[in-house]
Amino acid sequence: MKKLLAAFLLGFIGYYLYTAFAGVPFGENKMEVGKDYLETTVPKTGAVNTVTSIVVNYRGFDTLGEVTVLFLAATGLGAILFGMKGKPEDKHREPSSILTTGAKALFPIIVLLGAYIFIHGHLTPGGGFQGGTIIATGVLILILGIKSFHANHALLSVMESLAGITFVVAGILGLAFGKNFLENILPLGTPGQVLSAGIIPIIYIAVGFKVGAELAGVLDTLMSTTRGEE
Amino acid sequence: MPELFPLSPVHYVAAPLLAAFLLPLVAKLSRSFIKILPGLTFLYVLYVSAVLYPQALQAPIIEQIAGWAPPLGINLYYGPMAGLFASLFSALGFIVWLYSLTQMKQEPLDRFYILLMMLVAGATGMVLTGDIFNLFVFMEITAISAYSLTAFLREDDKAEAGFKYILIGSLASAFVLLGIAILYSYTGTLNLADLALNMDKVPLSVRVIVFGLFLVGFGIEAEIFPLNGWAPDAYSAAPAPVSALFAGITVKAALYALARVTILLFPFAGSMALISILGLVTLVISELAALHQKNLFRMLAYSSMGQVGLAIAALGLFTAEGVYAALFAMINHAIVKGMLFLTVFAMAGGSATLDGLNGMGRKKPILSLLFTLGAFAIIGLPPFSGFWSKLSVLTAMGQTGNYAMIAIVLATTIVEAAYFLRATGRLYLSEGNPAEGKTPLSAIAALAVLAAGILWIGFFPGSIDETLTAGAQDLLDTAKYTEGVLKD
Repeated sequence: MKKLLAAFLLGFIGYYLYTAFAGVPFGENKMEVGKDYLETTVPKTGAVNTVTSIVVNYRGFDTLGEVTVLFLAATGLGAILFGMKGKPEDKHREPSSILTTGAKALFPIIVLLGAYIFIHGHLTPGGGFQGGTIIATGVLILILGIKSFHANHALLSVMESLAGITFVVAGILGLAFGKNFLENILPLGTPGQVLSAGIIPIIYIAVGFKVGAELAGVLDTLMSTTRGEE
Repeated sequence: MPELFPLSPVHYVAAPLLAAFLLPLVAKLSRSFIKILPGLTFLYVLYVSAVLYPQALQAPIIEQIAGWAPPLGINLYYGPMAGLFASLFSALGFIVWLYSLTQMKQEPLDRFYILLMMLVAGATGMVLTGDIFNLFVFMEITAISAYSLTAFLREDDKAEAGFKYILIGSLASAFVLLGIAILYSYTGTLNLADLALNMDKVPLSVRVIVFGLFLVGFGIEAEIFPLNGWAPDAYSAAPAPVSALFAGITVKAALYALARVTILLFPFAGSMALISILGLVTLVISELAALHQKNLFRMLAYSSMGQVGLAIAALGLFTAEGVYAALFAMINHAIVKGMLFLTVFAMAGGSATLDGLNGMGRKKPILSLLFTLGAFAIIGLPPFSGFWSKLSVLTAMGQTGNYAMIAIVLATTIVEAAYFLRATGRLYLSEGNPAEGKTPLSAIAALAVLAAGILWIGFFPGSIDETLTAGAQDLLDTAKYTEGVLKD
């Protein structure tokens, strides 16, 4: 009976969502805001990557919020798992020597790729979130490959804080220069160059550091709880 | 430095964010900063309120973030309504901080205060923003802080409550996000004012579907029946200062979002009537459920939902008086319920039961008096604030000829009186075990501020009349809103 009701409810929601989305006019140029973005991005923000200019500039306030969401998730996880010890895993498998060697060899390359992606966020696809996540996967490989590995929590937390402060201060500087919060205060430069697009690269590099440090911290917190270590 | 940093509404969000990112750093310098910094932050946003709110009463302040005029960029709309709520949230945040100074001992305190500040900042952002996706982002900030704070005390049942909340809350987020996606794909804009002008591009059937999605999404956070199953568990699991903020802030922000979005985007006849009916159903069911509770926090949680139901019922009348009454009820509830949660925790601890109140009248006279004051104010006895808020609700209902609604509200008031007077009776008429511990001064001070608010509104209800009228007008006058935002 309960399952029947659930199935009915799902079907009900699914049907109406389908009708709503089925009527969306695809292929027509209805996106008024989108058109403006496409036309004004390069001259007004100096960023070649339109997606980045929307994420970091036009709608930078949302991105600041999203960075905060991740920060809160990491903070909340740390709060809930605070002082918690998992069962010591007696059958914890030793990583093979291939994994250990591979992890050490790959880690610098992964970090380099991540950094490349967030430094060039305003030029090529990707950005702070993507680059930061790639760096965190590098840390994950280290955790898997080296049994005694521990991320330096104090360092990660300092990095996280400094990156967050950079983002907010970049916003407040806009106010201090008599403009709006998060408004660009630097010269736009030549579009296509690494040093262009005003404060966009600065913010995206800060986001990259922040996301990388946060996800690495989350992974390490989870690992030490399941391994039964403090 | 007024010249260097001209005050603007974005300070409500930027200052707590900066403080939250700074807190882990300054905590390394000295542990005492962990407690000081949030207090300074709340004081600062209160100062922002003191400067900006009088200006907003003259004319709404519209701020463009990153210098892009809407609909290209995100704007903040700081009118009388947003100003009222932002000021209320900041004040409650400060009072709860003051109370937590001595009453909150559970580590890790740095994380507790970060989450607390972000809960307040997220809810404030929800009422400030003029962009529907930005609204979603702030709703997420509020919700994620709330989930973590619910499970903060790290016991099995608290974890369960937190998990329940996170599941239902994620559903709420998903529904709101789907609704936004549908609106965006039909209109091509996310700005609330611009959306209001472009709603004719959305077929009526789709508008009803999106309204349904928003009603469920915001309704979950606003604790509307039958979407409020998470609330009693979350209220009783969370540390009491947090429960006070749930009742005073998160619910109010979600209600504001629901009201703003409904009035701007879905002003068809049925939407308001539906909200009104849901409010009444919530009121009746919650008050009846509260009658059966032995755990005081659960009792207060159900009473909270009932009060929210009352506000929603008045809101759905869709008249100036109705919105006025709804605002009055929300403010009254934020102050009184906040005080009740904090008083009960100070009196009987985290797992307070009705029996725990026995004989407290002699052992903790000040706290008992405060509890009694709060109980009387919630029931709506004169001369306390609750009397005037309930009276305005009833007047608004009478003016629209909804006498059945009046009967329902009066009947639930009797139920309310029954369980609150029962609890008050335990304070003075029963014998109990000797109490231990003294209540610290900072906690008493925090409670005294709230009590003063109840008495002030009770004796001088005219003093907040202008505020409420302006807020109600701000919410109902959609033409002024859209013109103000899109004037360029």
